[in-house]
Amino acid sequence: MIKYVCKYTPVELFSGFSQECSLLDEVADNFEVSERASHINLCGFGKALMESTLSEDTQELILINCCDTMNRAYDVIDDTKACDFLFMLDLPHQNSDSAAQELGKRLLRLKNEYAASSGIPFDKEAFLNAFAPTAPSESEPYVGILGVRVGKQLEETISSLMPLPVRNLTCVSNREFTCDTKAMADMSEEDMFTAYAVALLSQFPCGRMGMPEIRCKLFDDKNLKGIIYHSIKFCDYYEFEYVGFKRDTTLPILKLETDYTRQSEGQLRTRIQAFAETLSGAADTNQVVAKVPTPANTSYVAGIDSGSASTDVVIMDTAENIISTVIAPTGGGANNSAEQALSDALSKAALSRSDIRVIVKTGYGRDYIADGDDSVTEITCHAAGAHFLSAQARTVIDIGGQDSKVIRIDETGAVQNFVMNDKCAAGTGRFLEMMARALGLTLEQISEIGLDWEEDITISSMCTVFAESEVVSLVAQNKALEDIVHGLNSSVASKVGGLVNRVSPQEGYIMTGGVAKNRGVVKALEDKLETNLYICEHAQLCGAIGAALFALERA
Amino acid sequence: MDREEQVEKFGQLIQKAVLEDPVKARKILINACRIQQAGSVLPSSKVSPSHRYASRQITATMVDALSSPEKSAMVSIFIPSEPLNVAGITPFSVEALSGFLGGVHAEQVFLDAAEEDGASKTLCSFHRIFHGAMGSGVVPNPKMLIYTNLACDANMTSFPYLINRFKIPSFFVEVPYERSEDAVQHVAGQLREMVTFISDVSGKKITDNMLQEAMQRSHRTSEYYLEHLKYQADHAMKSDIASELYAVFTGHIMMGTKKAETYARRMLSDIKKAKGNDAIRLVWLHMIPFLQPSANKYLSFTDRARIVACDLVYDSMMHIDPTNPYEAMAHRMVYSCYNGDYKLRAQRAQQVAEQTKADGIVVFAHWGCKGTLGASALFKRDFEEAGYPTLILDGDGGDPANCSDGQMATRFGAYLEMLEDRR
Repeated sequence: MIKYVCKYTPVELFSGFSQECSLLDEVADNFEVSERASHINLCGFGKALMESTLSEDTQELILINCCDTMNRAYDVIDDTKACDFLFMLDLPHQNSDSAAQELGKRLLRLKNEYAASSGIPFDKEAFLNAFAPTAPSESEPYVGILGVRVGKQLEETISSLMPLPVRNLTCVSNREFTCDTKAMADMSEEDMFTAYAVALLSQFPCGRMGMPEIRCKLFDDKNLKGIIYHSIKFCDYYEFEYVGFKRDTTLPILKLETDYTRQSEGQLRTRIQAFAETLSGAADTNQVVAKVPTPANTSYVAGIDSGSASTDVVIMDTAENIISTVIAPTGGGANNSAEQALSDALSKAALSRSDIRVIVKTGYGRDYIADGDDSVTEITCHAAGAHFLSAQARTVIDIGGQDSKVIRIDETGAVQNFVMNDKCAAGTGRFLEMMARALGLTLEQISEIGLDWEEDITISSMCTVFAESEVVSLVAQNKALEDIVHGLNSSVASKVGGLVNRVSPQEGYIMTGGVAKNRGVVKALEDKLETNLYICEHAQLCGAIGAALFALERA
Repeated sequence: MDREEQVEKFGQLIQKAVLEDPVKARKILINACRIQQAGSVLPSSKVSPSHRYASRQITATMVDALSSPEKSAMVSIFIPSEPLNVAGITPFSVEALSGFLGGVHAEQVFLDAAEEDGASKTLCSFHRIFHGAMGSGVVPNPKMLIYTNLACDANMTSFPYLINRFKIPSFFVEVPYERSEDAVQHVAGQLREMVTFISDVSGKKITDNMLQEAMQRSHRTSEYYLEHLKYQADHAMKSDIASELYAVFTGHIMMGTKKAETYARRMLSDIKKAKGNDAIRLVWLHMIPFLQPSANKYLSFTDRARIVACDLVYDSMMHIDPTNPYEAMAHRMVYSCYNGDYKLRAQRAQQVAEQTKADGIVVFAHWGCKGTLGASALFKRDFEEAGYPTLILDGDGGDPANCSDGQMATRFGAYLEMLEDRR
C-alpha cells in the first residue's frame, strides 16, 4: 500500500505496478513524537503526518513539496529511514507548458526509481486503464468546505450539523481531470508522462498553486449556499485567500481554524451549529427571532446559559417579562451548576419546575445539561438577547470568561456575521483574571483602578503567559498599578477591537458578558472604537435572555 | 532622554500618524531616513566604518522605496537583484522594509492592521508588518513585484495576495527543489524572461553587457566577503546586533551595485585591521532578533559574544562565473542552502563554523518560518555531532510580542555561560 497526502500525487502511475494508493489524512491525538523530532510551531497536518509515519508502519510514501512544513516533514521522515520507499515529488506552482514538461520528467524519474526499488516491472496498459472517468457533480444546493483539508471527523461533524448537503472542496479533495489515454498509448514514454503532467496540473488548483483568479470561480456555482472555510494553524497558504474570499463573496462564510487534533471540539461545534442556524434562518424567511408568541395559557419559560465562569438562568413569562434571574459560578460540572441555578431562580420567583413549560439551554455546557427541551448556540442566543435589551443594537460585543465574540445583527436580531477569538485566552475574562491575580488585585479592584492612569504603558504580549511575566516585570520597575492596569485594559481593547473590525461593524454597539462590568475595559474599548457602548443591568444575562426568548417561541 | 527612548517616542509618533494620515506617516518616515543618512542619528562610533556605510545605503533604499515608487520594485529577498539595479529600479524586500519599520518601533500598528485584515497571527511577522504597511497606505504601490518560491512559503501567499489586491505587474521565478545543472538551465530560462519583463515594465533597456558588468561586481562582492570570513576567527570588527543584517540586505537587494561591492571591500579592509578578542564566536542561522532587548544586550557593543557569520549572508556569497550572467544568477538560486532538503544548509553552517573557529551555532527559530523550525532538531543533532554546541532559540524577529524577552535572556545567557565554561 502506497500512502500519499496530496491530490496532485500521480496515483494512477502506481496501478502500473499493481499497487494500491491510500490517502494519509489522519487527525492526530497529540504531537508527542513529531514535536520532539521537529518543532511545535508547524502546521498540524505536517505534524500529524510525521506522527503517523514515525509511529506506525508506513512502508511506502509519496510526498509533494506542498509547503515548507512538508519539505521538513520529508527531511525528518527520510532521516529516520522509516519508509522502504520515500519520494518527494517537486510540484510546480504554475500550470504552463514548461512547468508540465518539468513535472513530466519528474514523474518519469519517480516511475524509474519505484521500479528499481520494488523490482516490479511497469505495466503501461495497467497504468492507462487506471484513469477513471470523472462523475458529474449533482446539481443541488450545498454548503462547501473550502480551504485546507479538514480530516474525516470534522467533515462528518459539519455534515451532520448543516441543513444542506456538504461538499468537501478543500485542498486534497476535488481531484478531477481527464486524460486522452488512447493518444497516450501511442506516445513515447517521455511524451506520455508529459501528457500525464498536463492532466494533473489541469485540476482545479489548490490554494498552494497561487491561482486566485481561478479559485474565485468556486463562487460561480449558484448551488453554493454557504462556505465553511477551514485553515490549520501555521498553514500559510489559506489565510490570505480567506481574506479575499470574505471580501468578494456575499455568501455566508464561517472560518474555522484547527490544529488538526481532536481538541477544541466544543468550541468548533458551537461555531458550526451557529452557522447552521444562520443558514437555516436565511432559508426560512418566516422565522422571526425573539418575537412574542403570546400563547393562550400563560405560563413560564426558562433560558439557561452554561458558561465557563458562570451559569446564568432567566425565567420569563409569556409577555416577555423577566420574572427571575440567577448568576451563579459554574463549579462541580455544568449539569450540577445548571440544576442548582435553576432551582435558585425558581425559588426566587416562588415557582416550581412544573410551572416552566419550556427550557432552552445555551453556552459551552449546554450539551451536558440533562434537563431542558432544546439547545441553541450562544451566538444566536446573544443576538436575540441583545435585540431584546436594545432594539437599536447592531454590533454585539460579548466578552466572557473563556471567549470573546463579536456578532453583527440586523434589525430583527438575526445574526448577520460573527467572529470569535481563537483558543488563546487573550482578550477574555480569563486573561483579566490571571492578570489581577499577578497584581494581587480582586476583579472589582482591577475594573476600577485603571481609570485613573497617567503613563500610557503598552503591554505588548498578547499571550497570557508572556503578559503575566511582562506585568511582573513592570511591577519590579515600580510602574504605577493604575498605569499597568490601563495597559492591560488597552491590550484587551486592542484584541477585541480587532475582532470588531472583522465583522463590518455598524453603530448600535452593545456590550454583554461578565467583562461588561469592568469599567476600565469598557472605557478602553470605547476609546479604541471611538464610540459609546450600551451596557445595561442585564448585560451578563444576555445569553440566558436569548435562550428564554427561544423557549417562548417553542412554548 | 536616551537613544532607545527617542526611538520609542518616534515609533509612537509614526503609529499615531498611520492611523490619522498614512501619507503623513510616510513623509515622517522619509524625513527620518534622510536625517539618519545625513548622519545625525548614525550608529555610534562603536561600529566599524563598513557597517556604518551599509546602514546608510540600506536607509537610502528605504527612502527610494517610499518616495519614488515609480522607480522601485517589491521583491522576494532571494530574487537576483542585478537586472533591477542596472535598470535603475530600487528593489526592496519584505524583510528589509519590515525590519526598518521594526527598527523604528513602529511595527505594532502594522501588525494590528494586518490582523484586522484577517492575516493569521502565525504568519511570519515580517510579512504581516509588510501586509499592514501596504494595506494602510503607508507604503505606496511599487512599479512591479517579483517573487520566487525559494526558501519561504510566506512569499507564496502574501505576494499573490498583494498582486491581486493592488493590481501590481508581477513576475514569478520557480526554483526546482532538486539542485542540478538541469534545474540551473530551467531557472536561467525564466530569468531571461524576467529581464524582458523588467525592461517592458520599466521602459529601460537591459543589455547583456550591463548584466555582465553587474555580475562582475557581484562576483567581486562575494569574493571580498568570502575572503573576510577567513579573518573572522582572529579579528573582531566593532559591531552591533544589526551589523550582520546590513550584510543580509547588501548581499541580496543591493547585489550588482557599486555600493554592495564598496561595502564588502571596506568590510574586508576593516576586519584585516581589527584586533582579536575573547568573545564567544557564533554562527547564526536565519534572522537576527534585533528588536529583543536581551539579544541586544548580549550581541551589541560587547566583547562577550559576536556573530561571525549568518547563513542569510553567506548563502548568497558564492564563487560564480560572471561571464554567464543568467546561469550565474540561476546557480545562486538553485544552489542556495535554503533550497531543497536541509542537508546543504547544515553542511554549509558546519563548514563556516570550522573556518571561523566558532564556539557554537545558534538556530534562530523565527516564528512562522517553517523551513527553519521544521529542521531545527535535525540541525541541532548534526551540529552537536560535529562538535558545535547548538542553541535553538525560539523567538520572533519582527514581532517581539510573540516571545518572552525574559525567557530569551535566560536561554541565551545560559548558552553563553555554557560555551564560556567549555573554553
